[in-house]
Amino acid sequence: MKIAVNHLTRIEGHANLVINAGDGTLEECRLEVVETPRFFEAILLGRHYSEVAHMVARICGVCSHSHTLASLTATERALNLTVSDQTLNLRKLLAFGEILQSHVLHLYFMALPDYLGVPSLFPLVQTHRDVVGRALRLKKLGNDLCNVVGGRPVHPVTPCVGGFAALPGRAELQDLRQRLGEALPDLEETIDLFASLDLPDFLRETVYLSLIPESEYPLLGDTVTFSSGFSLPVAEFESTVSEYLPERSTAKYALVNRQSYQVGPLARTRNAFHRLSPMARKVADALGLTAASANPFQNLTARLVEVVQIVDQSLHLIDNLLLDGLRQETLPVPAGGGCGAGAVEAPRGLLYHRYSYDEDGLLTGANCIIPTAQNLANIEGDLQVLIPRLFPGPREELTRQAEMLIRAYDPCISCSTHLVKIDFV
Amino acid sequence: MTPFAHISGEETTSSQIWRSANRGEIDLFVRSLSTVYEVVGVQEKRGRLLRSRIDDPTSLVLDFPPRVHSPKKFLFPNGEKLFRFRLGGKVLLETERTSPPRVIFGMHPCDLHAVKILDDCLLEGEADSSYRALRDSAILVGVDCQPDDHCFCTSMGTDRVADGFDLFLHHHDGSYLIQTGSPRGEALLLRHAPRIAARPGEPPLPLQLKQCSNGLQCSSETLPTVLEGAYDHPTWEEIGNLCLGCGACNLLCPTCYCFNVHDRLDLNLHGGERVRTWESCQFDQFTKVAGGDNFRGTQAERQRHRFFRKHKYLREKHQRTGCVGCGRCSRECLSQIEPATVLNSLFKEQAGPVKTQMPGLEYQPQLAEIAAVRILSEREKLLRLRLAEPVRFDPGTFMEVSVFGLGEAPFTIASAPDGGRELEIVVRAAGNLTRALHRLKTGDQVGVRGPFGCGFRMADLVGSDILLVAGGRGLITLRSLLLAILARREEFGRVILLYGARDPESLLFHDDLMAWHQGDQLDCRLVISDSGGDWCIARGEVSHLFRDLDIAPHRTIAAVSGPPGMYRSTNSLLFQIGFDEDRVFLNLERHMKCGLGKCGKCQINDICVCQCGPIFPYSKVRHLREAIER
Amino acid sequence: MKPRIGFFDFAGCEGCQLTVLNLEDRLLELLDMVEIVEFREISSGGGDPLDIAFVEGSVGPRDEIERLRKIRKKTKSLVALGACADTGGINSLSRFQTASTLQQTVYGETAAPPPVALLRPLHDFVAVDHRLPGCPIDGEEFLAVLQALLLGRPPELPGYSVCVECKLAELPCLFDTGQICLGPIARAGCGARCVQGGSRCRGCRGEMENPRSNPYYRILTDHGLTEEEIRDQYRLFNLPEKEDR
Repeated sequence: MKIAVNHLTRIEGHANLVINAGDGTLEECRLEVVETPRFFEAILLGRHYSEVAHMVARICGVCSHSHTLASLTATERALNLTVSDQTLNLRKLLAFGEILQSHVLHLYFMALPDYLGVPSLFPLVQTHRDVVGRALRLKKLGNDLCNVVGGRPVHPVTPCVGGFAALPGRAELQDLRQRLGEALPDLEETIDLFASLDLPDFLRETVYLSLIPESEYPLLGDTVTFSSGFSLPVAEFESTVSEYLPERSTAKYALVNRQSYQVGPLARTRNAFHRLSPMARKVADALGLTAASANPFQNLTARLVEVVQIVDQSLHLIDNLLLDGLRQETLPVPAGGGCGAGAVEAPRGLLYHRYSYDEDGLLTGANCIIPTAQNLANIEGDLQVLIPRLFPGPREELTRQAEMLIRAYDPCISCSTHLVKIDFV
Repeated sequence: MTPFAHISGEETTSSQIWRSANRGEIDLFVRSLSTVYEVVGVQEKRGRLLRSRIDDPTSLVLDFPPRVHSPKKFLFPNGEKLFRFRLGGKVLLETERTSPPRVIFGMHPCDLHAVKILDDCLLEGEADSSYRALRDSAILVGVDCQPDDHCFCTSMGTDRVADGFDLFLHHHDGSYLIQTGSPRGEALLLRHAPRIAARPGEPPLPLQLKQCSNGLQCSSETLPTVLEGAYDHPTWEEIGNLCLGCGACNLLCPTCYCFNVHDRLDLNLHGGERVRTWESCQFDQFTKVAGGDNFRGTQAERQRHRFFRKHKYLREKHQRTGCVGCGRCSRECLSQIEPATVLNSLFKEQAGPVKTQMPGLEYQPQLAEIAAVRILSEREKLLRLRLAEPVRFDPGTFMEVSVFGLGEAPFTIASAPDGGRELEIVVRAAGNLTRALHRLKTGDQVGVRGPFGCGFRMADLVGSDILLVAGGRGLITLRSLLLAILARREEFGRVILLYGARDPESLLFHDDLMAWHQGDQLDCRLVISDSGGDWCIARGEVSHLFRDLDIAPHRTIAAVSGPPGMYRSTNSLLFQIGFDEDRVFLNLERHMKCGLGKCGKCQINDICVCQCGPIFPYSKVRHLREAIER
Repeated sequence: MKPRIGFFDFAGCEGCQLTVLNLEDRLLELLDMVEIVEFREISSGGGDPLDIAFVEGSVGPRDEIERLRKIRKKTKSLVALGACADTGGINSLSRFQTASTLQQTVYGETAAPPPVALLRPLHDFVAVDHRLPGCPIDGEEFLAVLQALLLGRPPELPGYSVCVECKLAELPCLFDTGQICLGPIARAGCGARCVQGGSRCRGCRGEMENPRSNPYYRILTDHGLTEEEIRDQYRLFNLPEKEDR
């Protein structure tokens, strides 16, 4: 039988699922990324460093803040600029807001309908208005964090090279802090809801990658760690990852040592399990998530644990920001050009940007390694094991499970069409 | 009755009281007001100066540049709700609640004039009820300001304001003077700042004239005529080609209020509100009608309309300028369209009387700064003035010194000429002007004209002995001469000063004189006429000092300066000693006003003191019957 | 029966659709008034016919053009959602490189790189009834346009420039600090959000009605920009007029 799902729903971006199965054997199984390429890397050539972050934000609407932060970090490394602790803290808060918003969007709007047997969350407006209301409330909290720190929930305006062009007001931060505290009942109900769901039982261990900062839960950092044991600095990441463009795909796939690997919430919770906050740890334990979890569907669980982790960390971060007070800083002006790389943990996993600039501060080359692109090979690997296990089930069931697996990775397809390797000009 | 001259034809209300207050007391005032009113004012927010609600009185800024946006948003807000309505079945209208009463701090004089214009426009005919409500409940507190090079308020007569406010805060001496402008303002002080209200009234400050560097070259009253003749002038086309149509000029103008009205529906379509929003006559949509016609379709026409409305239509209608010269429109115009420049270019072309030589120029003082103040006695102060340029004068001449709003008066120059920019005057606090001069401090500005008059010609005095005869304040003139002599002491022979006054306190510069006497530079003989006190100065009149005088009149020059009565006795004494009429100089002061020999007030018979004196050789005045009291 | 609306996307970042979802509590109210029949990002449903189709993203490859035409056929009203759909958005910049440059730069020396199809706004291919400009759109504007369409009124976008909103927000003009800003010719409706955030206007909402290009051009040259630089600034989010292409 042949299964071809054009334009998978409830994922970000456009991808097709193709399954070709003979009797009992899987002949072909692939995820075709068919997102129309927008040629971002070519557009960036020759642009001034002050514009690059604003442009790359437009790669993706859901993770525009992560792209912005990775981009700024890479530009600052390239131009030899350091940022203050205040800037780092504000960037973390911005990232928290985005991850919170993205995870809630995924959990409630993209993943949950499968487990409730509905095509989308909209029918629930009539039957379970409170559930939809809760989802929107939590999502709003994430968006408002982004709004207050970044100036807009999609495509931020305040972050710039060297810092922030405008700072959040004290009153706004206090209001957010209060709302974060008041979100706990919503979080509890969310946990209860997802705890009641039956995640498919599917194990396939792979290599899990994430950033590993000095002592915090992965968000910003200079070191990449592999669950197989070794670590390397972000600056060496690109040379370690090899990329190839499969047929019928507009996105490149990534391999490390010829093996597919996984990034994302599950990778992060595995690599930094002992760094979860006590509250998040309790939730992980209650939901059965451990440092050795190897079920890709448990990315959902990991997402939920991260939501709790983020609310916790955001509360503390805002408290510290309010205590220290925010000061307008003069932004540094770089001298000359250079090459540099930066990485952040986006909602979907490790996001890496690398740029080179000439003496006038104009971009001469760029490369971005996107979380979803790094997961594509792994998704196919998972499908190749999962689908045969479902034989000889009806096509609807195969399709449903395949879609659910893909969705578990929360792929961001718009981003992944911009994986590129450019030679230095 | 306040001792104010009428300024610009506007009456000052008789309820105006001036009281001093420091910043701390003003903060307490604001705090007390905040319990009852919404207090709004200028404060720093996110690195900018913005007008908004004041929650912390110490954040209120009372000294800010003209750049700050006008307070019109509090009297005529953008997006004001006219009413709400409910749909579904019968339409129900609900009027909006009125906003809480406000105190608006920080109205510059131009802003206060702008309110008068808004009153003219919005309260005439069927008064705009929303504006009326906000206007009546708003308490206006003015504050003074420094113009920048975009302001042209002086030309529009709006750089100073005598009424139209409830209170006005004047910066003074590092502190403030609060001027009440209405019974409401007075009541506010009584209730919310009783300590300030209990203070006795102070003499008023003169109205602050701004002297803007930017301005009209014609009088603003002639603008309607100028514009009338320029309706088809090519300048409108030129401006139209520069104009971006961004509307900043209207949005920022404190007298612009044109608006659009539209409805906003709630999302659920159950109801909505009718609102009015600020519009700009520079927008395309302003005059568009259904059907597509646009009655003012080009940017040239729109800019012309703006100028005509502000400087012609409104003025002709209300007999008041429609533009307050605040400069906000030009300051923020990216194309740098500047009203005074435009109007001046139109005026120039119309062959009107051009102000190249401005009438009254010779009456316009230059500004001088007070460099130092020295207290001489209870009623006398020495002021050291720093002028813009170096000044040359002969000892014995005088300056006309102005305190704007109170007038101008002659003051003898009390210091010697040294080729520099500074000179000294001595001021006795006797009337309004002199009392005002006494209130001034270092850094304050006064107006000066001069030097006027004929003084001592040092060249004629060199080589002689000098006999100075001074009575009371007459010493001031002779101090100038004395300092000039002492500066080149070796060029003169003996220098003797005979100085008499009523009492020791009236002996001016006593310590200086003693110092010179002890330093053998001066032979100083003092006498006081009052009896009593145990001061060791001889008793008597100046004439008594002549008794022991031992001089050679043929090589001595005598200079006499004192009260009118003194001259009778001293002159005859001098001639008795044997002085030539050419070698006796008299300081004859009259009421010099114009200093230019025009006003006629300082005439002695057929001569003007300001032109020929006040230093006269006796030979020149012996025939003037009015010169010396006989 | 409630009006049927659908959301579709082409080559874009989906940020505009996300902005609709970000309406959060207003979204619930909205869902009471309309039936969202299609919204691929968050729904597996679909269906014809539609009253209003909101379409995000630019269009290039042949199969996408076909897909757009199908959507046009099945909807009464088609609204361009966001800059990519409306003016080409940031996708416009690829217009100014050759196809081979684009391929080489992005995909390097691969055997079969994807074909380059230049990305264009929707109105190059189908009739577009209304538009929601911006990158991303403004959520409030979306509601206003939707409401107008539901009431059968033509939606009205502000015709004046971003300068108006900057002045109302009492922001200092960027030109005073020596920076360049596209505000004077960009369409208002965003509340000058970028200038408020310390950045500058990049004209993501497209041109105002009747932009005063001549005086604006003069101002830019006065600030030292060359003609090339001026074109460069403008093109960040806006495809030039048809004649220019």
